[in-house]
Amino acid sequence: MLPIMSSEWYKLSKSRILWILLVGPMVGLFIGLTANFDNLGGGPNEWYVKLLSMNLTYALLFLPLITGVLASVVCRYEHQEGGWKQLLAMPLTRGKVFISKYILLIALVMVMQLLYLGSIYLVGVIDGIPEPFPLNIVWKSIFGGWVATLPLVALQLWMSILFKSFAAPFAVNVIFTLPTILVVNSERFGPYYPWAQPFSMMYIGGNTEDIFFVPWDQLLIVVGGSFLLFFAGGYLYFQRKAV
Amino acid sequence: MEYIVETKNLTKRFGKEQAVSGLEMKIPKGEIYGFLGPNGAGKTTTIRMLLGLMRPTSGSVHIFQKDLRKERIRILNKVGSLVENPSYYPHLTAGENLEALRKIIGVPKTRIKEVLKIVRLEDVANKKVKGFSMGMKQRLGIAASLLNNPELLILDEPTNGLDPSGIIEIRQLIQRLPHDYGMTVIISSHLLSEIDQMATTVGVVSKGKMIFQDSIEEMRKFAKQKVVLKVSDSESAWRALLARGMRADWDEKNITLLNQSDENVATAVKYLVKDGFSIYRVEEEKKSLEDVFLQMTKEERLV
Repeated sequence: MLPIMSSEWYKLSKSRILWILLVGPMVGLFIGLTANFDNLGGGPNEWYVKLLSMNLTYALLFLPLITGVLASVVCRYEHQEGGWKQLLAMPLTRGKVFISKYILLIALVMVMQLLYLGSIYLVGVIDGIPEPFPLNIVWKSIFGGWVATLPLVALQLWMSILFKSFAAPFAVNVIFTLPTILVVNSERFGPYYPWAQPFSMMYIGGNTEDIFFVPWDQLLIVVGGSFLLFFAGGYLYFQRKAV
Repeated sequence: MEYIVETKNLTKRFGKEQAVSGLEMKIPKGEIYGFLGPNGAGKTTTIRMLLGLMRPTSGSVHIFQKDLRKERIRILNKVGSLVENPSYYPHLTAGENLEALRKIIGVPKTRIKEVLKIVRLEDVANKKVKGFSMGMKQRLGIAASLLNNPELLILDEPTNGLDPSGIIEIRQLIQRLPHDYGMTVIISSHLLSEIDQMATTVGVVSKGKMIFQDSIEEMRKFAKQKVVLKVSDSESAWRALLARGMRADWDEKNITLLNQSDENVATAVKYLVKDGFSIYRVEEEKKSLEDVFLQMTKEERLV
């Protein structure tokens, strides 16, 4: 497994696409610096105001979308010039290839989350927020957002293996991500929509007594359930795929 | 006899279409096995099944006397392959392409230089493969297939898209392999001449069926060229030749000599001139692969 992962990382690291990891955190930084809620008057903690506005765009759109782009990238060079048949004719199992690509992807998403954490901190420093950095809340948001993308990464990897074109898996991703803007406002559907989970689990206004701001059963059923479904679907599809 | 590759009743169906049916492939050790057939005969499908890239609808594949379904990884450890068009990662250089594969099979880094040298690409090791010519890509594909010191090398149409000098180069390389490295080689092609110059054993497929499998010498008997004579009054000319003890065929228009040695042709012409026939043409009629196939399928039915 380690040799396959090292080969996967080698191929990806040479692709210069890693700059895309900066897009989400940069957007977050920009929104954090421009957001101005002074007129709310006597807001609770300035960090909260920043976090709420930054998370809205980042967790709702950029986190799920860029996750999908990354998944497409790790499959793109396999699709381009017969990479799959060369790779899969090597002494390895398809399962290990699938898991290696998946682990690589979620590690990259984690890096992106940590860069976003840096953005949050930077916004505070630049704006000179006097209160201490609320790490005990922010880490939940960062880590929770990562956990919430685990099923989305699995589905995007499946779609990226399935479609040779770069655009098709991206379209699938957009189709599911855009309705999130409406869904998160719905108390009935919001908790059950997998693409709404990154936002819900990064939303610091949620119930702070729950781990990751959402109830445990919602985490297990929606995030865990969709993860099992998407991961198993992609894994089994890849086993049978003729290349 | 011990076979390096042996398939039993190998069959692949795509919907209703039978791409490969009941294929019984037998490849002895150290041979260069020419896998011959027109485009669409099922060669690539068969090769994909040999590598486990595609599941057979039915039948089995044994490589190194091991069942491919059960010991795929152990088999592929000792197999190198190039399937259809060369595979490569366009964003990487030649050396990096091999490095990405080397990390998986775990041979020492020096092996990359060795295989680049074998295919004579060492000067462009640091160039992006995107800009390579077809022949260079093909050679890189062969380098990749040699990376793990395979005992069995499977090359699907390795000279496709190459210019004549590239073809000769690849051919010489392939011919060296069994002798220098003890490899068994499978090369597929749709060109009889191609196989004729490299292979020691031949398997011919047509419409997914193996219609011939034997040594190249046996194969050559089928593909013998004919010398055709166009003469005035061909029927009496033919009788005149027979009367002088020459072996010949006649098909309403032309005379075909059964013995095509230079002397024999010269003698036949001499006799015909002596007997007063006008000779319009003395032609060598090369048999196309299609003709050979027709002949083979015909005899298949007789057997």
